[in-house]
Amino acid sequence: MIRDVSFGQFMPGKSVIHRLDPRIKIVLLIAYIVFVFCTFNFVSLAIVSAATIAVILLSGIPFRMYVKSLKVVIIIVLITSLLNIFYGGGDPIFEWGIIKISLSGIYRAIFVSVRIVLLILLSSCLTFTTTPTDLTDAIERLMKPLKVLHVKVHEIAMMMTIALRFVPTLLEETDKIMSAQKARGADMESGGFIKKIKAMTPVLIPLFVSAFRRAYELAVAMECRCYRGGDGRTRMKTLHMKPLDYVSVILSCLLLTGIILCNIFLAPII
Amino acid sequence: MSFISAENVSFSYSEANKNVLDDFSLKIEKGEFVALLGHNGCGKSTVAKLLNAMLLPNDGVVYVEGMNTADEELTYDIRSNIGLVLQNPDNQLVASIIEEDVAFGPENLGIEPEEIRKRVDESLKAVGMYEYRTHAPHKLSGGQKQRVAIAGILAMRPSCIVFDEPTAMLDPSGREEVMSAIQSLKEQGITIVLITHYMNEAVLADRVIVMDGGKVLIEGTPREVFSEVPLLKRHSLDVPQATELAYRLIGAGVRFTKMPLNAEECVEFLEGVLK
Repeated sequence: MIRDVSFGQFMPGKSVIHRLDPRIKIVLLIAYIVFVFCTFNFVSLAIVSAATIAVILLSGIPFRMYVKSLKVVIIIVLITSLLNIFYGGGDPIFEWGIIKISLSGIYRAIFVSVRIVLLILLSSCLTFTTTPTDLTDAIERLMKPLKVLHVKVHEIAMMMTIALRFVPTLLEETDKIMSAQKARGADMESGGFIKKIKAMTPVLIPLFVSAFRRAYELAVAMECRCYRGGDGRTRMKTLHMKPLDYVSVILSCLLLTGIILCNIFLAPII
Repeated sequence: MSFISAENVSFSYSEANKNVLDDFSLKIEKGEFVALLGHNGCGKSTVAKLLNAMLLPNDGVVYVEGMNTADEELTYDIRSNIGLVLQNPDNQLVASIIEEDVAFGPENLGIEPEEIRKRVDESLKAVGMYEYRTHAPHKLSGGQKQRVAIAGILAMRPSCIVFDEPTAMLDPSGREEVMSAIQSLKEQGITIVLITHYMNEAVLADRVIVMDGGKVLIEGTPREVFSEVPLLKRHSLDVPQATELAYRLIGAGVRFTKMPLNAEECVEFLEGVLK
């Protein structure tokens, strides 16, 4: 039942995007998000959109997967663009009572919705093409400099790894407990929202108890395997920058230059 | 000095409780396969944790290759030398990819990446799970998960592995997989300490130690130990089915030259008797 939830939505593949270093992917995603919000006219917006479409095509993930990820935010996009339509200043081209719609309002709406869509597409691309393990690994390595500030980087990464590892295990267990409680006559389907939530108590309590027991046993098992925190620990998989990674960085720099040039030489619309 | 020796060990989990182990002594030689039997609460699992310095004795000493487990500087040397495989395979796996989980132990020991890679591949091959190296643990069967857990210990290159009821949560086919993995480890010269409830697993050992109330009740080869049916019965412990049958037949007047330990031996004896 709920066991089929694929966490992180990773889709195996051998595309260029799949093969990029996960660290680079995270850094580039952050950079692209900044680029998307630095577009102030249609040309730069078109450049960023084209780049996003290129990335999507390169990822080799079926387009319907991206559409699926957009479904979640469609309401947010509609609401924000609707609000933006009415917020544009300038001369109204349409007036009805207190509702005034101006050209700049429409432009604003277009920009906001395209920006959100691009944002979602790019971040889905990251989770589609990177395994959760690679992601946590990359985050650990990217956050390493924060160690100077006494941020417990290794501990955070370890917690993320273990959480990811136990998501399917605990889902399976929830399933089992639900069946066990149903077999004892628990009613979880009928009634309103509040009643359904209340009916989850006999599932959640055993689940929590078992999660704590598992945590204790896992801690024992980890100690048995000589775990003693991050100091002196090595990793089997080391990440190395490949030519492909440098190419992606160079292309992104070109994109950035394009956007900057557009912003300098073309008048901002919003 | 023996490879592992526990000398007059006493242990209790808190001062108020009575001793789980009481003046307990144990010697294990290198390369031996020892089975530890006894019913729940007799201190078997405590022994397992004392051997790899997870617990320290209140009285007495435990030596592993001459290293005292109470010496804090040696804790990790001992733990990497004496691996401990626990009962629930789900709660022993740390990473969401098999090969990364197996690498966890050597990574903790600070071994070089290339060497870890080599060890991970070797350990996974040793338990027959190499083809699954990139799979996620939750998609495996119980027996397969337990074999991965064994590989995770094996990758630390221990000279002894202690199994704390490794088959208790598995189905019969998983139990068989794990037992054959354990036997192949024994053939590679790794010392095995197997804590179990299943008599037919204990029969495979070189030496059986039966515990009761924190003390050694009886020890010897499987045949010696399981011949003492009345003693074991008095302490409400089981004997292998074949032995049980022979014991009852002896009671009924049938003569057996020695106690059978498994079905084949039993059939052989019965054939002799019937002729």
